[in-house]
Amino acid sequence: MNMTGGQASRDGDPPPTGGIGGRPQPSGRPQPSGRPQHLDELLTAVARGDEPAYEAVYGQVSGWVLGIARRVLRDPAQAEEVMQEVLLEVWRTACRFDPRLGSAASWIMTLAHRRAVDRIRSERSKLSREHRAALAVIDYDEVAETVEASLDRERVQRCLASLTRVQRECVSLAYYGGYSYREVAELLGVPAGTVKTRMRDGLIRLRDCLGVR
Amino acid sequence: MASADHEIHALAGAYVLDAVTDQERGSFAAHLAGCEQCREDVREMRETAARLGAAAAVRPRPELAEQTIAAARRTSQLAPASEQGQGTGAGPARRAVAAVGLAAAVLVLAAAVGLGVLANSTMRQLHRSQGQDRMIAAVLTAPDAVMRTAKVRTGGTATVVMSRRKRAVIFTAHGLRPLPAAESYELWLMSAAGDRPAGTLKMAPGGMAGPAVLSGVAAGDMIGLTVEPATGSPLPTSVPLVMIGPGSV
Repeated sequence: MNMTGGQASRDGDPPPTGGIGGRPQPSGRPQPSGRPQHLDELLTAVARGDEPAYEAVYGQVSGWVLGIARRVLRDPAQAEEVMQEVLLEVWRTACRFDPRLGSAASWIMTLAHRRAVDRIRSERSKLSREHRAALAVIDYDEVAETVEASLDRERVQRCLASLTRVQRECVSLAYYGGYSYREVAELLGVPAGTVKTRMRDGLIRLRDCLGVR
Repeated sequence: MASADHEIHALAGAYVLDAVTDQERGSFAAHLAGCEQCREDVREMRETAARLGAAAAVRPRPELAEQTIAAARRTSQLAPASEQGQGTGAGPARRAVAAVGLAAAVLVLAAAVGLGVLANSTMRQLHRSQGQDRMIAAVLTAPDAVMRTAKVRTGGTATVVMSRRKRAVIFTAHGLRPLPAAESYELWLMSAAGDRPAGTLKMAPGGMAGPAVLSGVAAGDMIGLTVEPATGSPLPTSVPLVMIGPGSV
C-alpha cells in the first residue's frame, strides 16, 4: 500500500486555492527563497506592515480559513465572521509568526481552528445533552462532504480513509466537529485515554501518509 | 514522575486538535517548554492538521476581501520584537510611544475580551493609580507581550497579557460570578515549585476585575484564580477556576 504522497508529478498541479503541501520541503526549515510569493515570506513581509503582501496572504488563505470555520461552525454567516476575525488577527499579530517554528499555513490554520472551536463550544454549552449528541451524528456523517474538488482534498480523503475507523472518528470529530477528547469519548463510547491515543496515532499516520515533514 | 510525564505526552494529538480544556492546554504548553521532541511532534502534527483544514477550503464571497483588507488598514499591528533599541538614548520618545501604545493595547485587550465597554472602564481603572499605570504600559507594550484569554469555570472570561522580559503579567476579567462578602477571588502564580499568592481582586459591576499587575513572574509560572476568604489566603484552598499559561500558538 503506497500512501506516502509522492513528491514528484502529482504535486505539479496544485488546486486553484493552492495546496499547503504543494511545495516539496527538503527539510523542516524554510527554504532560502527565490520564490517571493511563498506564504512564509509573505507573512514575514506582513509583519513589517506590507499591505500588498497582506492581500496576497488573504488570497491564499481566506478560503482555507473560511472552509474550516464553516466545517466546525456549520453556519455560513458565523463562519464568515470568524474568517474575518482570523484574517485581522493575522494582520495584527504577524510579528509573532516565526518560520523556524512551523509554516505560515499551520500558524494561520491553528489560529483559525482554535477560534472556530472556541465559538462552537460556547454555542454548544447552551444546548441540552441530547441535542448535542444528535448534532454529533450529523457532524460525522458530513465528514465526507465536499464543497470544492481539489487534488489536495482528494489526497486528504485518501489518507483519512487509510486510518483505522476509531482513529478517523477521533481525528474528524475533534478537528472538523470541534469536540473535546472527553466529548468524543462519550460520543463513541470509548475510554477517554483511548481517544487521546487514537488522536495522536491518527495524526501521526496522517502525517506520514501526507508526507508532512 | 514517569507516569505523569507519559500521561501528558499522550495529550499531544488532542492538544493539536484543540480537543483539550484550557487548563490542559496550559499544562501541555508548560510541558512543551521543556520537551524538544514534543515540540517537534507538535509542529509536524500541526502541519498535518493544517492540511485537514485546507482540504475543507471554500471560496469566500469576493466582497469579503475588500472589507477585510480595509479593516486591516484601519487596524494597527503589534510592534515586532526589536532586539536593538536598548539604550539608544531615545528615552522621552520611547515613553511617548509607550503611552500611545497603551491606549491601543487597551483597546486590543477590550476587543479580545469581546466587550466594547471594557475599553472605557479599563481606561478609567488604568488611570486610577499612576504607579500601576506605568507597569501596565510597560507590559502591554513589551515587544514580547503575549495575550491569552480563557473561560472561568464558574462564569466569565479572564484575559492576561504577559511579558517574559518584564517578568510581569496583567490580569483582567469580566463576567465573573459575584461572590458573597466573605469571599474574594485570589490570583496565584502557580508552578511545579509551589503556588505564590498574587493578590485578591477588587470587583466592579458586571463581574469586571482588574487590571491587576503580577510581577516577579518566573518562566513556567501559570496564572491561577481561586475563590478564597475575603482577606485572601497564603495558599490556594480550592481548585483553580482557570489557569492560564504562556501557551503557544
